[in-house]
Amino acid sequence: MTADRMTCYINGIGILAPQETSDEGVLLEDIKTYDNNRLTCITPDFKDYINPVQLRRLSRMLRIGMTSAIICLRNANLRTPDGIITATGYGFLGETEKFLSEVLERVEKQITPTHFVQGTYNALAGLIGLTTKCTGYNNTYVSKGFAFENALQDALLQLESNHNANFLVGGFDEAEDVLHAIGTKEQFFKTEKIQNTQLFNSRTQGTIQGEGSAFFTLSGRASEKAWCILGDVKLIYRPATEEDLASALENFLEANKISLDKIDGVLSGASGDVERDWLIERLEASKFSSVPLFRFKHLCGEYCTAVSFATCLGASILKKQFIPKVIRHNAIVPQSNGIKTLLIVNHYLNRNYSLILLTRHP
Amino acid sequence: MSHRVFVTGYGLITSIGNDKVENFESLSRKRAGFGELSILNTLHSRNLPSCEIKLHDHELSRLARLHHARGYTRTALLGLIALQEAIDDATLSAEELKCTGLLSATTTGGIREFEKNFRAIIDLTQHGDFVQFTDTANPGEHTERIADRVGIRSYIGTLSTACSSSANAIMQGAQLIGAGKLNRVICGGAEALSKFTINGFNSLMIIDAQHCRPFDAGRNGLNLGEGAAYLVLEGEDIVKQQKKKPVAELIGYGNANDAFHQTASSPEGTGALRAMEIALAKAEILPGQIDYINAHGTATENNDLSEGTGIKRLFGTNVPPFSSTKPFTGHTLAAAGSIEAAYCIMALQHQVMWPNLNFKEPIPELELSPIIDLVQGNSLKNVLSNSFGFGGNTSSLIFSGTR
Repeated sequence: MTADRMTCYINGIGILAPQETSDEGVLLEDIKTYDNNRLTCITPDFKDYINPVQLRRLSRMLRIGMTSAIICLRNANLRTPDGIITATGYGFLGETEKFLSEVLERVEKQITPTHFVQGTYNALAGLIGLTTKCTGYNNTYVSKGFAFENALQDALLQLESNHNANFLVGGFDEAEDVLHAIGTKEQFFKTEKIQNTQLFNSRTQGTIQGEGSAFFTLSGRASEKAWCILGDVKLIYRPATEEDLASALENFLEANKISLDKIDGVLSGASGDVERDWLIERLEASKFSSVPLFRFKHLCGEYCTAVSFATCLGASILKKQFIPKVIRHNAIVPQSNGIKTLLIVNHYLNRNYSLILLTRHP
Repeated sequence: MSHRVFVTGYGLITSIGNDKVENFESLSRKRAGFGELSILNTLHSRNLPSCEIKLHDHELSRLARLHHARGYTRTALLGLIALQEAIDDATLSAEELKCTGLLSATTTGGIREFEKNFRAIIDLTQHGDFVQFTDTANPGEHTERIADRVGIRSYIGTLSTACSSSANAIMQGAQLIGAGKLNRVICGGAEALSKFTINGFNSLMIIDAQHCRPFDAGRNGLNLGEGAAYLVLEGEDIVKQQKKKPVAELIGYGNANDAFHQTASSPEGTGALRAMEIALAKAEILPGQIDYINAHGTATENNDLSEGTGIKRLFGTNVPPFSSTKPFTGHTLAAAGSIEAAYCIMALQHQVMWPNLNFKEPIPELELSPIIDLVQGNSLKNVLSNSFGFGGNTSSLIFSGTR
């Protein structure tokens, strides 16, 4: 990249997650425990965010997504963003299921369109556009474990040509029944029940199902309440070996002119799946053994856009300069002069790997 | 700092042809793909004719050069066929593919296989051959599968913005190249017909049981179709270095939102106008420099009026020759943007403009008449392609000839 590279600020955040959240992000004072391998969002009174007429028509996922988007816009003190980019792995699979069931049960007769329309992947991006009267850029990514990263990169590209613009970018996914069946059949999820706090002690195949919706406003101009700087995002598709992953990491750090010893913490997307975590665990051991290491998927569960939860968590750590005890995974503590730089290293099903760099502002 | 973006090859499969040559022939000879459904098993095979590719999956597997097609959905098969033609057309080596990105678009991915096996998939006690399709409700599944097959590793993305999806995939690819993030990205979309989409659009009462009539006063809805198309986009640096002969240049693109209704377009054509304006500004050309428009033209009451209004607002009394090729291919949803982009590039290569079938009488509010016969011997320089969708999504692309 060129020297006069734009700085991208995260000016606002809105999140709903399986842990307590507020209009100021994720709290993590106490960890909420789950014993059924499925972590679901703690939701506020939706009426505080969505008008009742609109609310009645919306599915649970649209309610969660819309509410987190509105929390984010309020947090950024923004009425209408200049562009909207959403990301999801399975979108509104619950709506798809309902529509499909109707088609099959009624043998393709007398079908109603509600679930079909609400099941469209860009339904949330469209709804936010409609509600905020945003006629600007509007896009939706559905690339499994890369969707949120694609969306962030898209926003970075858009901001390159208009630094002052405000882009609303969010990742959302639902811990849905059909997905639970799919994930169980594909052995993505554990067959034995564990408590989420024991995710990393389980040492068995599969992870636990999670969900969440996290929105961010990004701009080339920092607001007074900016959370942090989004430095860079990189995708690594199917690294075959630890060397592939390690060299991608080195290239990423080099491109961003930062050395590993300047990283104050790594948020690792290890999922507690002994079959699929081997690569990230090796990287943790070889590269991050002297860096404060944090893990987060015991708090939100695994889903395609879980990295958006980590992004919120990272931004929160940088802004509040506080590391919740429940995320610490090794005994190394950050340097006393503050937490300046965080690296997120995520993977989804040992196929979609990504790196996200966050730095403190100011 | 923005790099110019060229199209160095493309490939497609639709109901009017399995490759570029066949599509060209059908468009030139006014051969549409519309008819009763015989491959997809649906209650509506007779009463809702569509533009279906008359090949069974095992036949598509052969076209896709697969010995073992296990796990391949029809969407992935169509995608792989078009992707391989695009790769051949741009003569990309295996080494080049490794450092190539793939952006693919779909609205429903492998829902066709998912719906067929739905009850078995959600029943945890059932096991059998259907398990190969367990995860096919995921829209990103096809992209990874076809990327794996051809050896694309460096960048993967799947987009889904309803019927404008693959136009946005092309646009995002151009931006990644423009910003210097990638040298080469293959962009497009794939969509197979399914009960899911046929019943979905039918429940919205926007399917015409007869052959669709874009921009006609008597239009009565769309016909669905299936297909796939991909364009190979490359930055000017490698085009120059490797002395490649591009088939077209992507000079402008625009993405906007109508912010009017979840499934309907605004009567003022707000989003359409905005997308076209942004694309023109990016291309740094004036409306008068557009020589042909390949319209979205779905033949729904709502789209054609909204799009036509947007076109009139932009071009005033000098609306360039335009047509919708939807009667040929049906509305291929997420694949429509890239299929029509391919038709625009063909138009530039062969200096032709495609006919808009079934048009008789202009829409009274618009008084706009599309081209109804093949127009040859033009001096086409810049062509505009529109793609709009549910959720208010509107996208426009402008291609320029390289002759």
